[in-house]
Amino acid sequence: MARSIRPAWAPTPGPRPARRALTSTVAFAAASTLLLASCSSGGDDASDDGADGSGGGEELNILVVKHPLTKKMSEMAWVAEIEEAADVSIKWEEVTADWDQKKSTMLAAGDTPDLIIGANAITDSDLATFRTLFEDLSDDMDALPNVQAMFDEVDGAEAMASQADGTVYALPSWKEFWPQAITRQYINQQWLDNLGLAMPTNWDELFDVLVAFKEQDANGNGDPNDEIPFDWSPVGTTGYGYFQPTALLGSLGLPITGGGGTGYFVEDGEVGNFLADERWKEVLTFLNRAYAAGLVNQNVITQDYSAYQSVARGSGDTASVGFSWGWTASDRFGAQLAPQYTSMAPVPAEAGQDAPLTWSYDFENLTANHIVVSAQTKAKAAALRLVNAFYDQDTSVQVLFGDFGTNVTKVDDNTYEVLPPADGESDPSTWKWTSTLADAGPLWIREGIDLTLPTDLAEAVEQSIPLEEAVANVDPETDVLPPFLKMSTEDLSTISLNNSTILNLTQTKFAEFVTAGGIEDGWDDYVAQLESAGLPQNVELYQKYYDEFSG
Amino acid sequence: MTTTTLRPTTLRRGRTLGDLLFSIGLGTFIVLVLFATLYPIYFVMIASVSDPTLVATGKVWVIPQGLSTFGYEQILADPRIWTGYRNTLLYTVVGTTLNLVVTLPAAYALSRREFAPRKFLMFFFAFTMFFSGGLIPIYLLYRDLNLLDNWLVFVIPSALNVYNLIIARAFFENSLPEELFEAATLDGVGYLQFFWRMAIPLSKAIIAVIGLYYLVQHWNDFFTGLIFVRDYEKQPLQIVLRDILLSNQAFAGGAGGAGGSGGGAYAQQFADQIKYGVIIVSTLPVLLFYPFVQKYFEKGVMVGSVKG
Amino acid sequence: MAQIRDGAGRKVGGVVALTLDETAAKVPGSPVVGPMTKGRRRRAVSRHLRTRWQLWLMVAPAVAVTLVFAYFPMYGIQLAFREFDFTAGLTGGEWVGMKYFNQFFTSPLFWDLMRNTVAISLTTLVVGFIAPIVLALAVNQVVGLRRKRFTQTATYLPHFISIVVVVGMLQVFLSPTTGVIPNFLSFFGVTDTNYLGDPDAFVPVYVISEVWQHCGWNSIIYLAALSSIDTHLYEAARVDGASRPQIIRHIDLPALIPTMVVLFILNMGGVLNAGFEKVFLMQNPLNLSASEVISTYAYKIGILQSQFSYATAIGLFNTVINFAFLVLTNQLAKKFANTSLW
Repeated sequence: MARSIRPAWAPTPGPRPARRALTSTVAFAAASTLLLASCSSGGDDASDDGADGSGGGEELNILVVKHPLTKKMSEMAWVAEIEEAADVSIKWEEVTADWDQKKSTMLAAGDTPDLIIGANAITDSDLATFRTLFEDLSDDMDALPNVQAMFDEVDGAEAMASQADGTVYALPSWKEFWPQAITRQYINQQWLDNLGLAMPTNWDELFDVLVAFKEQDANGNGDPNDEIPFDWSPVGTTGYGYFQPTALLGSLGLPITGGGGTGYFVEDGEVGNFLADERWKEVLTFLNRAYAAGLVNQNVITQDYSAYQSVARGSGDTASVGFSWGWTASDRFGAQLAPQYTSMAPVPAEAGQDAPLTWSYDFENLTANHIVVSAQTKAKAAALRLVNAFYDQDTSVQVLFGDFGTNVTKVDDNTYEVLPPADGESDPSTWKWTSTLADAGPLWIREGIDLTLPTDLAEAVEQSIPLEEAVANVDPETDVLPPFLKMSTEDLSTISLNNSTILNLTQTKFAEFVTAGGIEDGWDDYVAQLESAGLPQNVELYQKYYDEFSG
Repeated sequence: MTTTTLRPTTLRRGRTLGDLLFSIGLGTFIVLVLFATLYPIYFVMIASVSDPTLVATGKVWVIPQGLSTFGYEQILADPRIWTGYRNTLLYTVVGTTLNLVVTLPAAYALSRREFAPRKFLMFFFAFTMFFSGGLIPIYLLYRDLNLLDNWLVFVIPSALNVYNLIIARAFFENSLPEELFEAATLDGVGYLQFFWRMAIPLSKAIIAVIGLYYLVQHWNDFFTGLIFVRDYEKQPLQIVLRDILLSNQAFAGGAGGAGGSGGGAYAQQFADQIKYGVIIVSTLPVLLFYPFVQKYFEKGVMVGSVKG
Repeated sequence: MAQIRDGAGRKVGGVVALTLDETAAKVPGSPVVGPMTKGRRRRAVSRHLRTRWQLWLMVAPAVAVTLVFAYFPMYGIQLAFREFDFTAGLTGGEWVGMKYFNQFFTSPLFWDLMRNTVAISLTTLVVGFIAPIVLALAVNQVVGLRRKRFTQTATYLPHFISIVVVVGMLQVFLSPTTGVIPNFLSFFGVTDTNYLGDPDAFVPVYVISEVWQHCGWNSIIYLAALSSIDTHLYEAARVDGASRPQIIRHIDLPALIPTMVVLFILNMGGVLNAGFEKVFLMQNPLNLSASEVISTYAYKIGILQSQFSYATAIGLFNTVINFAFLVLTNQLAKKFANTSLW
């Protein structure tokens, strides 16, 4: 059709003045930023007066980036409590969607509220560009005893919060009891039983099991052709994530973080990128072998996430997927089918191999950048009081799970019990996200407390048990590339420039290698291309920052 | 088929075999086009009331399966949706009116060949279709003009769409007989008067088109609310619907997300159903409006007027 | 001139001056074009204002809105030539000239991006330009008011479906295992078709779905133009024994030409625009070699990675090329079709 003649900042170029009922995702509106993006003088809101009245009762403007399910802030009882505790009144601006797009405009225009709350709402790369907008909290720790205590007691919390020069702009959250890994590995135990198969212990056995799933009527519904032996979450064009076959790298002892991301990892203090690693080649070869044998969902490359989730829910009691990855069995396969599945440890690629097993290190219990204070706030003392109040023990529990009484029972000073959903219909995680800020909030769930977990989390914890051994093989000191390395703007830009070229190549090749093969012949050429695309330069930069961080 | 072949008048006038073939060809073409457009729409409708798992696995084609109105219940149970409807209605009505008031006279003036600066002005307008300062200068400008968080931001900055201006100008240029103007001027009628008394009544078709384009533009405007409005009470329907959509989509990016583990397997399962429902809910009012516009496209509007 | 105006009054002046202005432009040495003294120029201006003030009044609101909301913020464009430095402000970053343009031109992906972008947008442009015309001509031939209305309404419906859903539907319809289209084609022995993953299929799938979605909507303007054709012309043609194809050829089509030319010029201004959102949603690792376009690249590197200057430079490059095509087409149209935007 005729295309874009609208001003470049308009949502999406469209031939006619109007276009569609709904624009899609966060990201996409941001595309309109094509021509745009600029900034204003940061000093437009000349308001940094330093003189903050500390009389109390100040009004704070707080922008909160919350889950779209979450009810209004004013309806949460803990909000009133925290206002009272910190002696402030809060005016909320609640953002549920398209935060990235809103944010870039807001920051570049220098237009920030007193505080911004949300899971990584202000990212490290925002801080690299816009740090003058935010208050350095490193010299305010006296006013933040709870935060200071968290820094003292939680490994990595202070490192995560600190920039290279020691300044602290954004504070992390710590959730004791959370599994640090997001991906878990599942196989349909009932199918194994139906077919009289044993749990596979290496890739070859896994392959044979998948073949059996395919060729026989594993789910017993009379149709031997409706089983999908193997499925994974759609791999994007900008890198790898959770529930993707990067999980198989653990079978070869390659320690990844965050599901793989753009491929960088550290092993014994040495930075590398698995995209050019022989072990990735082995994974690809296995995937291709499975794909060629028709064991993998034929839509695996092109399906979207909701199709991926829907397919695994099968119909009624009849499961349709044999082997896959997910957060919990009920989340992945639906409550009805979940009991059929069992979570499993990574299997070694070969029987008796030397390489120890590993698993992705996802930092799910320690998460970065939950709260920032504006440098322009007129009520800094009040803002600090509020920040400190969030990291209080009782408040943290309520921020995470919901109000005392309706969502959580406080048994005694150190004992809490998370209640099941009151409406009887929703599941525990929906209930949690509906009731409160949940994982998006700034909080510190302390190690010493006695907390009865909700069933979904208990499930995740329980299903993480098989992974324990592999996780223990990963030494956080030398085998984990922290996602919070603070880089200079210039290096960040070099890295991302190179990465966009690298990923364009690797993601195309991934699909090609898996579906069409040619790995043996194409590998050297592929690696050479990666090297000319700047991979060694990026690895070097990562190494430099990693050494600074750990040294 | 939908052709003239069967009309006695046509036959009586001795239509040829060629015409018959033409009619058959046309009928077939139209039927194919209709099938190609309507089937997917029909699919959206049945998908909005079917079990989303069955839809995603390709089991729903003709008849809704696993009937469920969960999507619509979710959408219509949300109190925000009515505020959204009200706001959108206001922005659309006021906005479209303003659009027409700004666009039509300008288009007419620019269609006058004796208006010497028109070439420069057309370039002046067309240039802005391509070059824009970007979002941040615009944001700062709106802030200085007090348009942030102000409902006028939905109507004033978008008062002119150059594309529509060009279309309207082309129409005035090509469809208004010059003789009409000459005759009118002899009667001592000025531009403004001619425009109001003659040009407008003779241009219903283009006003209908431009009006429709503007109307749909306002109806679907989502970006303005997203960037320039923070007060939820002022948000238009599209923003509300998007929030409803997202609250059920939970975390299609993967359960990981920044701490977003959880998020509701139950709700998520229905995300697609809500997605389809949202299309119906947001589109229906515009569809109902269309027939009012459509009648201006039919022949006969110009009958009686002088044509060159 | 003065005489005519005095004699017939200002209102007539409008019409007469038309002739005079245009003649003046063509006759060398005429008072208007020739070297003017200050006084004469001032007189010409005041004469112009006296006769044309109503026209100025009519364009004034449009000019004002455009000046304030479109031209004023354009100072932001300079970011493409500056380092984005938040602390120094938009106009305060270090001047780096063509640095970001060179960065784009020397990117290893540059030619791939250009090739993909042009392939997608040019195909869309051509097919998307012709389809609504054909549809409008066909719908116009449908006899019977209700049938016609129905056809029209039906064909413009898809316009309102959001892109996310359209892409979702493509996934459902084209799925190699369950999709209705591959299943249908397998009857004819066409198997092994993964239209969503095949780089060669990307452009056709994109364009066909684009036409499907917007063809009806875009035909509205042509239908409006057809509705303004004088019915006497049809009657006269029938009396002369013209067949329906002949009527289409000799009456309907010529009536559409002015609109076609204008729309074609405007479309040419989008020669480097491949709809970002849809391309992005249709992207997957299998088709990336055909589906990475300028806008998706700029999004991935410029927006996701906060490379504001780089994104602005890429956007500006895109815009300049588009604008150049618009100007070129406009000149050609002026020369050959005697129609132009300015």
